[in-house]
Amino acid sequence: MADGKILTINMGPHHPATHGVLRLVLELDGETIVKVTPHIGHLHRGIEKIAENMNYQQVIPLTDRFDYTAASLNNLGYCTAVEKLLGIDVPKRAQYIRVIMCELARIMGHHLWIGSHALDIGAMTVVFYTFRDREMIMNLTEEVSGYRLTPSYLRVGGLAHDITPKFIEDLRAFIKWFPTAVDGYNTLLTDNIIWRKRTMGIGTISAEDAVNYGFTGPSLRGSGVPYDLRKAKPYGSYEDFDFQVPVGDNGDVYDRYLVRMEEFTQSLNIIEQALENLPEGPVNVDNPLIANPQLDDVQEDISALIRRFKIQCQGPVVPEGEVYHAVEGSKGELGFYLVGDGTENPYRMKVRSPCFILVSALEKMMLGHMIADAISVIGSIDIVLGEIDR
Amino acid sequence: MVTLTIDGKEVTVPQGTTILEAARSVDIKIPTLCYHDRMSPIGSCRMCVVEIEGFAHPMAACTTPVEDGIEVATISDRLTRIRQDSLKLILVNHPLDCPVCDKGGECLLQDLTYEFGIDQVEYSAAKVDRDSQYASPLIRYWPDRCIMCLRCVTACQEIKGIGAISVKGDGYGAQVVTVDADKCQSCGECLQVCPTGALTEDLSRYKGRTWLIERVPTTCTYCGCGCQLELNVQAGRVMAVTAQDGVGVNQGSLCVKGRFGYEFINSDERLTTPLIKKNGKFEEASWDEALTLVADKFSAIKAEHGPGAIGGLTSARCSNEENYLFQKFMRAAVGTNNVDHCARL
Repeated sequence: MADGKILTINMGPHHPATHGVLRLVLELDGETIVKVTPHIGHLHRGIEKIAENMNYQQVIPLTDRFDYTAASLNNLGYCTAVEKLLGIDVPKRAQYIRVIMCELARIMGHHLWIGSHALDIGAMTVVFYTFRDREMIMNLTEEVSGYRLTPSYLRVGGLAHDITPKFIEDLRAFIKWFPTAVDGYNTLLTDNIIWRKRTMGIGTISAEDAVNYGFTGPSLRGSGVPYDLRKAKPYGSYEDFDFQVPVGDNGDVYDRYLVRMEEFTQSLNIIEQALENLPEGPVNVDNPLIANPQLDDVQEDISALIRRFKIQCQGPVVPEGEVYHAVEGSKGELGFYLVGDGTENPYRMKVRSPCFILVSALEKMMLGHMIADAISVIGSIDIVLGEIDR
Repeated sequence: MVTLTIDGKEVTVPQGTTILEAARSVDIKIPTLCYHDRMSPIGSCRMCVVEIEGFAHPMAACTTPVEDGIEVATISDRLTRIRQDSLKLILVNHPLDCPVCDKGGECLLQDLTYEFGIDQVEYSAAKVDRDSQYASPLIRYWPDRCIMCLRCVTACQEIKGIGAISVKGDGYGAQVVTVDADKCQSCGECLQVCPTGALTEDLSRYKGRTWLIERVPTTCTYCGCGCQLELNVQAGRVMAVTAQDGVGVNQGSLCVKGRFGYEFINSDERLTTPLIKKNGKFEEASWDEALTLVADKFSAIKAEHGPGAIGGLTSARCSNEENYLFQKFMRAAVGTNNVDHCARL
């Protein structure tokens, strides 16, 4: 303002561009941001506490509700952590199908990101195209799990069941179609002069700062640090696949955009490889105490019925111990810390949320920029409040 | 005293102890199904088989007494296979009832099947379908769920000393029947010891699942014995009554009243407020009103006819403290020695 007074405004929690229920208190000098205070907790459901009263398999649907834009990735992080605690290995076929589901989830997460990110800055068209393609993945998810957004398709020890021939057929069609779609997104934005002006040089964070803040995922790679858990600490057969880890140069909104756009292609690449090399075999671990028996058996064999009854109503006993396992989520390092106390329920579950850390650096990225740029910065770190608040 | 080795652990126990008891005394767990702490060993299920050095065949730990110097192994691949096979033979033709069985969730057969990781029963046998039937008006017997462990028969004979039930028939046709219906008191001892859902309580059939039920320990209010029992409560309603083995004076046994006479608790006809008769009709009143009325009447009788005109009879359903207070009240407040108690005999 001309008289030099600082104006404090409240952005969110009910603001369409805060990607959920994020509340930012912005202090403005004219249109320039001088202070940013994020307030979180509006979506707190106490999932980590609820998990303590459920058996290990029952927790899986809760994990869908962290980053609900890419739910299978949460399932993977949780299931792999429990499997580590149990000391079991999942069959190769299940691992490959998990990779397919998770990379589809990553693409779904990025679809929502670019759609809403562009919409926030004023490019309305993009969201129509990304949601058209997101719908295809939703249908694929529905085909295997019955659910579209929160599939809970993964299980401790494997999968709910095998994929269907129709899924493979539809997935092939998607793989064939999707490069054209990505070209379309690029045409709309990458060389678009308005888009470049709104995103280049905005919300810059150096590689050193990003590492110090604890950035992970595309937001870290946008600053030029080639850190991807799928390469750095491979899990669940990711070492079998050949893919690139795209990185940016400047660490601004545009670089983070480019990284995620390239990840569309890389994820598709991984899905293609996993589908072509999909091994035969069971999709559940060969352990009658953990894996659910087949439904056909349950209707005929009393021992299968009893096992299913015990696994569903009581749950497998997980040994004492603690474990941390992290996967490369669509937003960054999604880690699960679990403490088992030798019963059917987790003693403690703690989630390391990548978005929580990204929110802490909002001020660093926004200071000195115009209020309109706050919107592009929020969009560029791709936060989801379901995961921050839990 | 006899010294033996179980799983490499040296154990010294008195002569005549069984291998199972000796193992339990040093916290070695041998799986059992038909064995029950309160009864003599039955030896029908073969789950507790152990290998004894020098003997070719495995022996049932529950019925084999210890001998000096023997070496016992309770875990081996061979024993696991035998136990799994025994379970599979029990599971042949076991009905697919778990989702509707009242015992589902606290069934010993389920626990063992899961513990031993049985994923398939490869045996088969001719199927005989038999309907469930009343064992007594309060207990239902499901012949297909029965695993012929004979716990119920033994309990009726040994714990209650009645012998109202026995086994009839042989092979797959065998089932537990009431041999002397007049002797059966419907005490439910058989129900209490049944490891599966073969005997279920007929009052609470299909009302609730075991894992949703809260067990509230309490003392039976029917007589002065003071049996310990557990009210099975779900959503504020008593669904059944059970007792915990080895707890209280009753050690887990109950009589027909204690086990089945619980429906009055949630009965609609139960009095919840005092009633005072006005103009020939009972009307609801507050406690203050009712107690004032009783006190007034007592005072009037005492004034007119003297305290000797009032007598008090107390009940074995009350606690000692309540009975003490009652006689104190009669003697000190009313001023009469006319006090009696139904259990004075």
